Amino acid sequence: MAAPIFLLAPPRSYTSLVNAMLGQHPQAFGLPELCLFNVDTLIDLWRGSKTEISENGSLVRHGLLRTVAEIYGGEQRTSTINMAFAWCCAREQVNTGLVYHEIVDKIDPLVVVEKSPSYTMSVKRMQAAHRTFPDARFIHLVRHPVAQCKSLMAINDGAFCLKMEAFELRDDLAMIEPQIAWHDININILEFLDEVPPERRIRLRGEDVMAEPERCLAHIARWAGLRHDAEAVEAMMHPERSPFARFGPVNALFGNDPNFLAGPTFRPHKPKLPPLDKPVPWRQDGKGLYPEVISLAREFGYA
Amino acid sequence: MSEAPSLGSTPRKRLSPSAENPETGRLDPSNLKPHQLALRQAMVEAFNAKKARKFLEKNVKHISTNRDLADGIKFLFDEQGRPPENMPLEDVIEERKKLEYQMRWFEGILLELRNRLVRVKELEDYALEMLSRAMPDR
Repeated sequence: MAAPIFLLAPPRSYTSLVNAMLGQHPQAFGLPELCLFNVDTLIDLWRGSKTEISENGSLVRHGLLRTVAEIYGGEQRTSTINMAFAWCCAREQVNTGLVYHEIVDKIDPLVVVEKSPSYTMSVKRMQAAHRTFPDARFIHLVRHPVAQCKSLMAINDGAFCLKMEAFELRDDLAMIEPQIAWHDININILEFLDEVPPERRIRLRGEDVMAEPERCLAHIARWAGLRHDAEAVEAMMHPERSPFARFGPVNALFGNDPNFLAGPTFRPHKPKLPPLDKPVPWRQDGKGLYPEVISLAREFGYA
Repeated sequence: MSEAPSLGSTPRKRLSPSAENPETGRLDPSNLKPHQLALRQAMVEAFNAKKARKFLEKNVKHISTNRDLADGIKFLFDEQGRPPENMPLEDVIEERKKLEYQMRWFEGILLELRNRLVRVKELEDYALEMLSRAMPDR
C-alpha cells in the first residue's frame, strides 16, 4: 500500500489548489477534505461537538461522502452519495484510522494526497494521521501572514479564528486577530513535524508554487518518489481535471473551498508579498504583525 | 523550499490567550480569568449576532425577487456559467421529493408518538390514583 501525502497548512494557504495539482499526478489521487482525523470513530463525524464554537455540521462530511461515491460508485450523483451514506452507516463504530486505511487500500497503487486544514488545529490530529500511516509524507505549505490573514478575514468575517481561539484581549475589549491563528497553526505543524523523519517532510511556500509551478511540482514529485518528467508535471498543471474540482451532487455539495470549486483552473502568477513591518489592513488601530509572527514569517523566507 | 522544517530545540509559545486542553489538543478558554472570559463571551456573542443579522438580511433580499434567488445559487455555476456537472435538475427535484416524503413520515411518526404518550400518561395517572386509594395511610 502506498502511504498518503498530507498537506499541512492553515486555511487559505493555496491548499485546495496545490492538493488538486498534486492529485492530478499520474501516480497520485487527490481527495477532498476528509476530516477523518478530527474524530475517533466515524459516527463522531455525524455527532459533532457541542461547544459554542463547534466544527459540526454536514459540511465536514461532504468530502468523505464524495470520495466514497467516486471510488466505489465511479461517479458523484445523489444515488452514489446515498450509497456512501449507507457505507458510512455500516462503519459508524469503526475507528477513523481504519476507515482511512480502507479508502487508501481501494485507491492503491495510486498515492492518496489529502489536505484537511482542520487537522492542523491540533497536534493530536496530525499525530493520529502519522500513527495510522507511519510512512506518510507531509508537506508544510506556508503563505505570507498578511495575505493569508486578509483572505481568512474575508470568509465569514474570520469565523475560523474563533475555532482557533485567535483573539486579542485588552483591558476592556476582546477582538478577533487572525495572525494568532496563522502563528499557532504553524507552530502546531512545526511541533508535529519534529516527530517526522526529515526525509518525509518538506516545507513549501505557496507563492513559489504559484510563480514557478513546473519547477516546484517537479521538485515535490521527486521528493515523494514519483515520476517527475514533463508529462507528469503537465498533468499536475490541470487541477480542474480532478473529479473533485467542481461542486458535488445536491446532497454533498462541497468537501472543499467553494471558491476553488467554482473556479479550479490554475493560472500561474506571482503573488505580491506585503512588507512585514507595516500596519495590517484588518486592524483599525494602525498596529502591525506581532514580533513572534514576523520572526516566524522570516524563518519561512518572507522578508 | 526547505527539506526538513523543524521547530528547533526550544518549543515556542502559542499566542492565543486560551490554553491547550490536554485531552482534545484543542485550545480551551476555561483557563481564562472571569473578566477575560466575559470579554471573550461578549466578542463571540457580538460575532454570532452579526452573522445572524447578515444571514437574515441576505435571505430577506433573496425572497424579495426571483432574480435575487438566482443570484443566491450563482456561485454553484462554473467559470463559463455552466450548471454543476454533478447536479442535474432531475436529481435536485428527486432530492426535494425525498426530503418532503421523509418529513411526512417523521410528522406521521411524531403524531403517533404523541397519541401514544397521551394514552400512557392517562394510564400512569390512573394507576397512581388507584395505588393511592389502595394505600390511604402512606
